[in-house]
Amino acid sequence: MTLIATRPGPGPARPYRFPSVVRRAVAGGQVVAAHLPGQNLAVALLLLDAGAEREPVGKEGLGGVLAKALEEGTAQRDAAAYALAVEGLGTELVTALDWDSFQVSVQVPVDRLGAAVELLAEAVRTPRLDPADVVRVRDDEATALRMDWANPGPRADAALRADLFGAENRWGRPMYGDPESVAGLDVEDVRVFHSEWFIRPGTLVVAGDLDRVDLDALGAAAFAGTGGGPVDRAGPIDVRLREGRRIILVDRPGSVQSTLRLGHPSPHRAHPDHVPMTLAGTVLGGAFTSRLNHLIREVRGYTYGIRGDFASSRRFGRFAVSSGVQTAVTAPALTEAVGEISRTQSGGVTEEELAVARSWRAGQLSVELQSPRAIAAALATLVVHDLPDDYHARLREALLAADVDQVSAAAATHLHPESLTLVVEGDAAVIRDELAATGLGEIVES
Amino acid sequence: MPDSGYPWPIETTRLDNGLRVVVSEDRTAPAVAVNLWYDVGSRHEPQGQTGFAHLFEHLMFEGSVNVAKTEHMKLIQGAGGSLNATTNPDRTNYFETVPAEHLELALWLEADRMGGLVPALTQETLDNQRDVVKNERRQRYENVPYGDAWLRLLPLLYPPGHPYHHATIGSMADLNAADLATFQAFHRTYYAPDNAVLTVVGDTSAAEVFALAEKYFGGIPARGDIPAAPDGRTVPATGRPVAETVTADVPAPRVYVAHRTHPFGSPGYDVITVLAAVLGSGRGSRLYQRLADGERIAQPDLVGAYGVDLAHAPAPLIATVTARPGVGAQRLADGLHAVMDELATVPVTPSELDRAKALLSTAWWRQMSTVDGRADTLSRYATQFGDPARAAERLPAWLAVTAEQIAEAAAEVLAADDRVTLTYLAEEKP
Repeated sequence: MTLIATRPGPGPARPYRFPSVVRRAVAGGQVVAAHLPGQNLAVALLLLDAGAEREPVGKEGLGGVLAKALEEGTAQRDAAAYALAVEGLGTELVTALDWDSFQVSVQVPVDRLGAAVELLAEAVRTPRLDPADVVRVRDDEATALRMDWANPGPRADAALRADLFGAENRWGRPMYGDPESVAGLDVEDVRVFHSEWFIRPGTLVVAGDLDRVDLDALGAAAFAGTGGGPVDRAGPIDVRLREGRRIILVDRPGSVQSTLRLGHPSPHRAHPDHVPMTLAGTVLGGAFTSRLNHLIREVRGYTYGIRGDFASSRRFGRFAVSSGVQTAVTAPALTEAVGEISRTQSGGVTEEELAVARSWRAGQLSVELQSPRAIAAALATLVVHDLPDDYHARLREALLAADVDQVSAAAATHLHPESLTLVVEGDAAVIRDELAATGLGEIVES
Repeated sequence: MPDSGYPWPIETTRLDNGLRVVVSEDRTAPAVAVNLWYDVGSRHEPQGQTGFAHLFEHLMFEGSVNVAKTEHMKLIQGAGGSLNATTNPDRTNYFETVPAEHLELALWLEADRMGGLVPALTQETLDNQRDVVKNERRQRYENVPYGDAWLRLLPLLYPPGHPYHHATIGSMADLNAADLATFQAFHRTYYAPDNAVLTVVGDTSAAEVFALAEKYFGGIPARGDIPAAPDGRTVPATGRPVAETVTADVPAPRVYVAHRTHPFGSPGYDVITVLAAVLGSGRGSRLYQRLADGERIAQPDLVGAYGVDLAHAPAPLIATVTARPGVGAQRLADGLHAVMDELATVPVTPSELDRAKALLSTAWWRQMSTVDGRADTLSRYATQFGDPARAAERLPAWLAVTAEQIAEAAAEVLAADDRVTLTYLAEEKP
């Protein structure tokens, strides 16, 4: 054998740089752009303050229905003509929604960006919202959600969210709504939501070769005919931890796997512990080499994969672990996962683990932020969370500077193994007794 | 129309042991993508050993002579990198993207598992990864509605003995029977430098990569006569349609239609690629316009058609639609069949053709927008067509396809008497 046994060290580090950011006020709105010289493809993304949190309680899924209705014809052309026009440029209208924002984007060869943004604005600002179309789209969305909810996962996610945040709150209900909430929407709901949130200018994010793009023209197209200023947002929500663990059992008869969703509330996005918390989550469940994946997949072979992380929006956050495990090992997998969370909370992280976690997170900023789509998403983060242009460079430094004491302290403070809600979606008749025998918490049938 | 789909430099060399090395320098970002294609996939698996190529892919992450179990992942992620591997009927690929200063680490790791896996392979590792793969099968194919469609379509499309007859994930029975000696032999047979292509794209130079490749891979001996997979290039038309109906726990009836077409990389398959976009990509596609919007029998989000880019036999074209509430499977299947049949009889209009080509152009440039996307493409063309520079031909070839060619292709390979139809019916709930 003539392999080289000695592992090579790194070469000289290349300096990290995020693309230069341009911010500009145009036609009543804001344009935030990143320069990607030589890139053939460009992305434009309109960011609106119309995230799921803006939906009234009981109207979950409104944003999703409106997103689809935007393409059912505009003031200028019908649905088929609109589809041909957009797709003739080589793009589709991509809509996305999270708790904090609603996003509509196009991705095209850079010389077509102007035309694509004009079509994007036409749909967002001047959709027909013909009542018959809205009703049909609503019914299709309800059906699509029913299809999705036939998969393992959505019911467990909903059970976890309701238990963490309370189903009486919008943020205690599914981000995209559920089949029933969507079926209950009416045409007026959709029209009012549009007039309230989709006519405000918002922010246009652009990622591409700015030497070949006219930002003023893009802004003028995106913000034409808009009005109304930004609307105040409420502050972070104080979410109570539950006293004592509980198991919520969601029945899925005949399931060959059990879907696990374990979680508890955690701080909002602007919390000062954001970086050490992220790293604690990475060590516990973030990377492939995490404690949870190592134990449950690589040592035990219970699963194809298990992940855990802290996730946060402007007003709230949650820690959650998710996996699918073979039915026969549901109880031991659950017990061992809770055990690993407890060990991390009480014992903190090691320097060896943290070294991997911090350089992985830092390196990902070079490795993953390449495509116009990824850069546009990074710019959207700056806008939604009011972060400075050099945020990614600063984040990289903060990640690399975090030490064992800080990250262990974050684990001790922000992990709450005794307050976990343990949702198990699986064949209840087969797993109920074993789950009860774990002693992890009382069982509640969902 | 662009002259080239690959406007970056490409340099290649071949080491004495047969390893082909491809480099495409791009200093835009401080990252490099390392991508290896081994010319072995599930098409090489004999009867009784289905799923072995893919299970083997898992074993490649479990340590080699100088790398401890799970250390591979730890080192790459600890360097800030992303990594993964995939197996399909044609090939197995391994890839990582790392900050540029860690290029040498990535090459060392890849060389160690190419040249030194067998001594580190243990029964315990095999047993553990067998369990992981069985869980992958449960999670991706068994526990989700319609999850087994691909497993059912392949044997309907390709006869027993054909290299694409069985799915890459394999059968539970074969996975259970997998023994250590078989995997040791599998590595010795196929994981050889003369059966692989190494591509590096990004913040480096050809000179640097060629020198490092020689340093780390140069000492691994060539295998020589690597056994070929069974020849599947000719699949006789059956002359009769095949239909299978499954009653399962699914939320709505769904129909898949599949045809054998041409191998990926052939002019015929370029026509099929454009045809599939006309048929099933986006809201302007025929399936959407006719069945989701027009007759309104199909759910709009679940309409689609695509070719599966396989290169060693006539590749499948698959179209699928799912019923709106109240629509029966037969009506849905009739609608889908009618739209398929019309591809031969109702000419594709200029705007349909332009739309399809524009969407394909964007898809191509999206793949080219990252160093990892480019590296995978170059590995493919070097492995399957002997020259990475041929990657540049694909986009211009799509853009040259005509409406007449689409009609001819539809008449030739999408005929109703050589069609596979797979229908899912929702079982009655008690």
